Amino acid sequence: MIIELKDINKTYPGAVPLHVLKDINLSIERGELVSIMGASGSGKSTLLNILGILDTYDSGSYHLDGTLIKNLSENRAAELRGRMIGFVFQSFNLINYKTALENVALPLFYQGVSRRKRNALAMEYLEKMGLGDRATHLPSEMSGGQKQRVAIARALVTKPSIILADEPTGALDSHTSKEVMQLFRDLNAEGMTIAIVTHDPNVGAQTNRIIRISDGRIVTGDSPA
Amino acid sequence: MKIRIFDIENWREIGQTLARNKTRTLLTAFGIFWGTAMLAMLMGGSEGLRGMLVRNFEGFATNMGACFVQHTTKPYRGFNKGMSWPLTVNDIDFVRRANPHLDLSTTSNQTGGSIQYADKATASQILGVNPDYFRIQLPVVHSGRVLNESDDSQIRKSAVIGKNVATSLFGSDDPIGRYIKVNQVYFMVVGVVSQTSEASLGAKMDDAVLIPATTMRRAFNLGTDIDAFIYTAKPGYSPKDIEPTIRHVYSMNHPVDPTDRDAMWFLDVSEQFEMVDNLFLGISLLAIFVGAGTLLAGAIGIGNIMWIIVKERTREIGIRRAIGAKPVDIIAQILSEGMVLTAIAGIAGICFAVGVLAVADTLTYDPALGSAHFQLSLKSALGITFTFLILGTCAGIVPALKAMRIKPVAALNDK
Repeated sequence: MIIELKDINKTYPGAVPLHVLKDINLSIERGELVSIMGASGSGKSTLLNILGILDTYDSGSYHLDGTLIKNLSENRAAELRGRMIGFVFQSFNLINYKTALENVALPLFYQGVSRRKRNALAMEYLEKMGLGDRATHLPSEMSGGQKQRVAIARALVTKPSIILADEPTGALDSHTSKEVMQLFRDLNAEGMTIAIVTHDPNVGAQTNRIIRISDGRIVTGDSPA
Repeated sequence: MKIRIFDIENWREIGQTLARNKTRTLLTAFGIFWGTAMLAMLMGGSEGLRGMLVRNFEGFATNMGACFVQHTTKPYRGFNKGMSWPLTVNDIDFVRRANPHLDLSTTSNQTGGSIQYADKATASQILGVNPDYFRIQLPVVHSGRVLNESDDSQIRKSAVIGKNVATSLFGSDDPIGRYIKVNQVYFMVVGVVSQTSEASLGAKMDDAVLIPATTMRRAFNLGTDIDAFIYTAKPGYSPKDIEPTIRHVYSMNHPVDPTDRDAMWFLDVSEQFEMVDNLFLGISLLAIFVGAGTLLAGAIGIGNIMWIIVKERTREIGIRRAIGAKPVDIIAQILSEGMVLTAIAGIAGICFAVGVLAVADTLTYDPALGSAHFQLSLKSALGITFTFLILGTCAGIVPALKAMRIKPVAALNDK
């Protein structure tokens, strides 16, 4: 079990407290390719933030690859995030003044990997994404699909336990979306665990299991669809 | 935690970030560059101004005093006021014996006269002095020597002539060993001198003929009378400490009312120097005040720009945090970038200021007086750089803390 959520609750404080996640129970097995679907405001982004240790939860428990994720210091959270989770974002979130290779190598920099080693590793993953010839290009010199593949390479380079993708095809045309989804399916076939947050049914349809979330509660998906 | 400062990878990352964001880097760097340059120019400039003024007194003893005989202003022991009275060598012997704070001293007799050599003649001031005169006001010796004890004690007819006198009598010939006629008395020229300072006692050395005091009094029938007494006080004492002795001595030896302050006029050069010193203390204080303002403005400028940079980089910092950067990584990055920038721009600013000061030094260079020292000492330069480095880093702390508090969620939500 890579991810195990038990009775997770999350409320955003404010004049009118917003109870966004209500008793969420969710498990993701190693090697799964799941999608988390829901309308905007359903709480799927908050769920993804909690899964990615980017946000905290109020009650319940979250185990990531056997580690209890609760009340972590910023440093410990950063360390776990860097080692166990690879992020892919809708807007790619590449650093625009760094080349493709440097972007991919950046997570390794924060892990203290030597320059030679991290560049070699980054190159390896870029080549795997079919972007070996784009290594020295800046993000502004690449197409959306290429940028997203760079972002995927960056997510993979630390050999994480799970890839969390937030609307990875949201900014891509349908043809490129298909390619990116195929890429996720291929990675999954190689054994990578992947969770994709989306509101696009076509994306959801290409995953092995759909977890539907609505109004802060999981409606289906406790068992593979 | 690994020690970041020794980690070459960290410096590469900083260098790259600065190099890839040229406009932002240049804007920040310019602020720092200008701040350090202004401060350095201010410090070097005030030093140069001081030098320009001080060089006018080059070779001039700064704790010097002198007294000159005046007419009495009070009737005394049956003598009317307005009487002239002579200060004599005898009086001076008393003073020299009585006051332990007296350092160098010389009597001075002065008269105008004509100086002749062969068929050439010139008018000049003739000064009869003791050898100490040349230690109270340091001359530039162009050839020969100055007057010595033997000239004075053996009443030799030796003369030291000013550079301008030498030129008008001898042209480019060497005057040493030649005989000149000073008011119809023959003297042998032993030296040619000039002075660097603009200030002088009685006559500028360049235009004077200086002969031994004893010779002067004997050759020109002055008896024991002297016109003035010039002296310096020993270190730690002021010419003011000599004055009471002189007053005491002359009122004992001459029928002058001891309460008649105006019967003798005292000059205290140390007072003049004190005034100049105070003026420069003022200028230095002003420089420090304006400099501190510049430093503060510079530091606030750095903090300001870094604040904007952090805001602008919120997304980037969020991304870095999401892919594993710890808060301390972000702080270190922002602060190190600020420090690297400050160090480079600061050194450039100082180099620029040194260039400007060098130009000022060249423009104010005087062949006779030399350089005014529009210069910045290495100590000041290092001081400015380090002060800016520390202030710049402090100014960067607030933005860096703000950067540290950026949650990685920022990168996700900021679509």
